[in-house]
Amino acid sequence: MARYGMVIDLKRCYGCYACSMACKVANHTPPNVFWSRVLKGESGTFPNVVRQALPVLCFHCEDPGCVKVCPTKATYANDDGVVVIDKEVCVGCKYCMMGCPYGARYTVPEWKSYFPEGLPLSELEQFQKEAWEEKSGCGVATKCDFCTERREDGKEPSCVTACPADARIFGDLDNPDSEASQRIKRDRGFVLKPEQGTKPKVYYLPPR
Amino acid sequence: MNSKLHGLVQTEWRWLIAIYLFLAGAGGGAHITGVVADFMGWTQLANIGIGLGWPCVLIGCLCLIGDLGTARNAWRVARKPDTSWIARGTIIISIFMIVAFIHTVLWVWPGTMAGPEVGARHLVGVIGAFFAFGTMVYTGLLLGDAIPIPFWNTTLLPILFFVSALSTGVMAVVLVGVIAAADQAHLLTLGRVDIVLIVIEALVLAAYLHGSYRVPNTRMAAEHLLKGELAAMFWMGVAVCGLAVPLVIDAVGLHGAGAAAASILGLIGGLCLRYVVLAGGAMYPMAAAGFEFRPIKRSKDPMPAIGKMPPS
Repeated sequence: MARYGMVIDLKRCYGCYACSMACKVANHTPPNVFWSRVLKGESGTFPNVVRQALPVLCFHCEDPGCVKVCPTKATYANDDGVVVIDKEVCVGCKYCMMGCPYGARYTVPEWKSYFPEGLPLSELEQFQKEAWEEKSGCGVATKCDFCTERREDGKEPSCVTACPADARIFGDLDNPDSEASQRIKRDRGFVLKPEQGTKPKVYYLPPR
Repeated sequence: MNSKLHGLVQTEWRWLIAIYLFLAGAGGGAHITGVVADFMGWTQLANIGIGLGWPCVLIGCLCLIGDLGTARNAWRVARKPDTSWIARGTIIISIFMIVAFIHTVLWVWPGTMAGPEVGARHLVGVIGAFFAFGTMVYTGLLLGDAIPIPFWNTTLLPILFFVSALSTGVMAVVLVGVIAAADQAHLLTLGRVDIVLIVIEALVLAAYLHGSYRVPNTRMAAEHLLKGELAAMFWMGVAVCGLAVPLVIDAVGLHGAGAAAASILGLIGGLCLRYVVLAGGAMYPMAAAGFEFRPIKRSKDPMPAIGKMPPS
């Protein structure tokens, strides 16, 4: 069985937010919901200051904090290691948002358009609304699921395809020959907040 | 918003949850006060405490259901209990409310027989008090189980919430007792008990904030409370309203309106305490390769520049 994971090469990422946009397009997320985000950090003192981008998403942890606190088992890791949410079982208590150390989860009370309120929905918006309500739902927790629909079609998650710098590698961490596993081993891959003990499956390669 | 904490403070659990945590605590405290009063033979205060406890918790639960947004399946939590503090809490609170309700119907409700089954009444009272204790401590454990938020993830929080719950429970009983013109001497005794509780609460709160301030991961949250955006609510609401003024009034031993005022202020303080603890719940930023990453500032209005567009 596959155990999907991702490797993000911080040396290649230049923080263009293409992954955030691609995620929005692929998953129809409403305003202020960012399943795939880019954080910016600074280090050093003037004049030797460096800026670094850090793209984050749901890390699909082996030992997820969100699953531990869920009162209804609405969120769980499925067979290929992808942590998903059953919107029919979720009660919207938002405890998982407190249990996730990475802030990967979002809840919206209702679907909203990007355009000012009061305008009639365009055909595209109507489609996006229905797609969001069908896949993710309102009033329940939502998050990245490594683009389930795209994977079913044999494609990679949209953020991986969209990355213009080829900074993202998606692959099977169970297969030692996959590019993802190879890069983690060869280039000293690391995870974020390892002290939380969640064992994320999204690895980063050092920026320098 | 404090720029240091931008994007790191949880924004999901706010007033509704604070009211819920407060009412669950105060209700449990009132029940325990009532049961103790029952053992002391103070029938009127016992009836007030036990009759007051579970409705408070029930109102709190309604706030919680309100926070779920859709009432569509609030009871799912109870139907599929799992190893989560929300699920355990649901069970503890449900049992508490059922036991306290039975107690109220059998022995507190006016016109129902009181007297003959003293043993049974005490037994039901103690069972209720046990689950009331669970309800009070659970509010702290619920937050403490959120491991990524170090400000909550401490042993002192359940203790703080428990002492505060007991104190606010006593105050609620005193408040209703003054209104119902209960025995002055008994109310004064409760006031003296409250002095001890307030002092313990102040000590635990000081230890909690001191401990938080000492740890780098929670220092920002402690600063947020002590001198940041929450400082006004913390110092005025929790320290002055909730601790100092009731302490002085209880120590002076005021009767009637004075005691009622102290109780009201103390209850407000209890609510403010829950709110500042919730609103101070911040994660620490992600760090990699010597960088510290903070979320970008997002505007509330996604497209503020466009303004109002003409209707098509």
